[in-house]
Amino acid sequence: MRDLYQRLSLPPKASPRQIRRAVDTCPNRALQQDADAVLTVAEHRDSYDALHATVSDISRLRARLGLSHGAHWQGSVANDFACPPDDAVGQNAALMGRVSQAATHYNRWQRLRGPWLITAAIITAACMGFAGGLALCLRLGAL
Amino acid sequence: MPIARFSPFELVLLQSHSQVDAATLLLQAWVLTHRNGITAGQRYRRLAQEATELVPSDHLQTLMQIAAEHDIQAVQLAAEVLRHESPHEQGMAVMHRTISVATDDGQLSLANHYILRFIADLLGLTPATLETLFEEIAGAPLTAPQDPSRDAYWREHNPAHYRRRAEREAEAERAREEAEQADARRDAERREREQASQQKKQARRDRARAKQERRQRQQEEKDQRRRRDAYERQAHDRRQREEQYRRHQSDYRDRQHQGTGGHRAQASTSPDRTLRALAVLGLSRGASRTEIRRAYRRMAQMHHPDRFVAESESRAAQASMRFQRIKKAHDYLMKTL
Repeated sequence: MRDLYQRLSLPPKASPRQIRRAVDTCPNRALQQDADAVLTVAEHRDSYDALHATVSDISRLRARLGLSHGAHWQGSVANDFACPPDDAVGQNAALMGRVSQAATHYNRWQRLRGPWLITAAIITAACMGFAGGLALCLRLGAL
Repeated sequence: MPIARFSPFELVLLQSHSQVDAATLLLQAWVLTHRNGITAGQRYRRLAQEATELVPSDHLQTLMQIAAEHDIQAVQLAAEVLRHESPHEQGMAVMHRTISVATDDGQLSLANHYILRFIADLLGLTPATLETLFEEIAGAPLTAPQDPSRDAYWREHNPAHYRRRAEREAEAERAREEAEQADARRDAERREREQASQQKKQARRDRARAKQERRQRQQEEKDQRRRRDAYERQAHDRRQREEQYRRHQSDYRDRQHQGTGGHRAQASTSPDRTLRALAVLGLSRGASRTEIRRAYRRMAQMHHPDRFVAESESRAAQASMRFQRIKKAHDYLMKTL
């Protein structure tokens, strides 16, 4: 399995016309024949693209998990689909961090629940009193 | 500081009894979505078979959905969980279950080839272990995946396309041949037309050339006649002059005989006449015989009447007179010196 897009220096979303031009100007006859058989036929290209996406995903996963040189990742697949490790942090570490942060928030909420509730009740009462006074003034003014 | 929302898989993971189980289920769902030829319902039921009774069904739905969306971050999380939390024996069990999910119908899709190998690498299984395990479960050896980026793969898997293409090409070839034949016919017609017109042109050219030749011949005849005339006139002139000269000579002789007598050489070599003859030949006093001969040749060549015949009759006549003068001067000098 080779990455024909990379070998033809095309983006994987290339239009049929771009592909046609790249195939016609390809100097390597064998690659030209393969690309012509795979990329210029819609049904072949669809299934190739699906597999290409999956293998690209696996390559990215391997890069993130440090498995770019695994025993099962050899040959043209490893060469063509190799991608540099990106700066995505470990998902598990990130999850643990967020869980602990959520726990901290929860604890803080539990601790400060009483004062927060009293404050909220006072503010609500003040707002209601203000609104009632305003309504009364308007009524008197109208009379 | 706000916390980003937990993703569906993170929620499943946090709520499940066993994180390894949840992660394994997600990887199995991922494998199932890459199996060919089964419906979504079949996939779901197959996953439910794998799930322990402790996993709620809405979790299974969520897992199937995540896998169908190709959520690579969720898969990464599952992979990390598996790697960190499972000892080697459990890894073998996970691999076992994943292979059985992937090869229920006896064949392994291309995408699952790569996914199974990825999981094997993740669980630290060597290729030999994976091959043994695969052969035990699927009943067939694990082969290298076929390569759909090659022409040969599609020739094997989609021969209908190549048959259609061959038919199309044959048709195009036939059409091209027909067009070529039509072209050839048109060409032949055009060539015939051209030949006919060329023949006509050739005939016209022949006629014109014949006419020109006739005219040239006439011209030549006229020229010859003219040259002959000029020559005859010259001969006539010369004869006249010679006669005159003879008469003159005889007169002179008579006179000499009558007069002083005996000093003929002296009289005929008068210095004045010698000087004039030398001037005619373009020489000065005291020229030698060879000089005189050379000068005569040059002058005779320059003033020969044949050179002027082509120009006009009067020029030819003038040249003839000059030539006579030169010849006479030379004869005189040759005689006297």
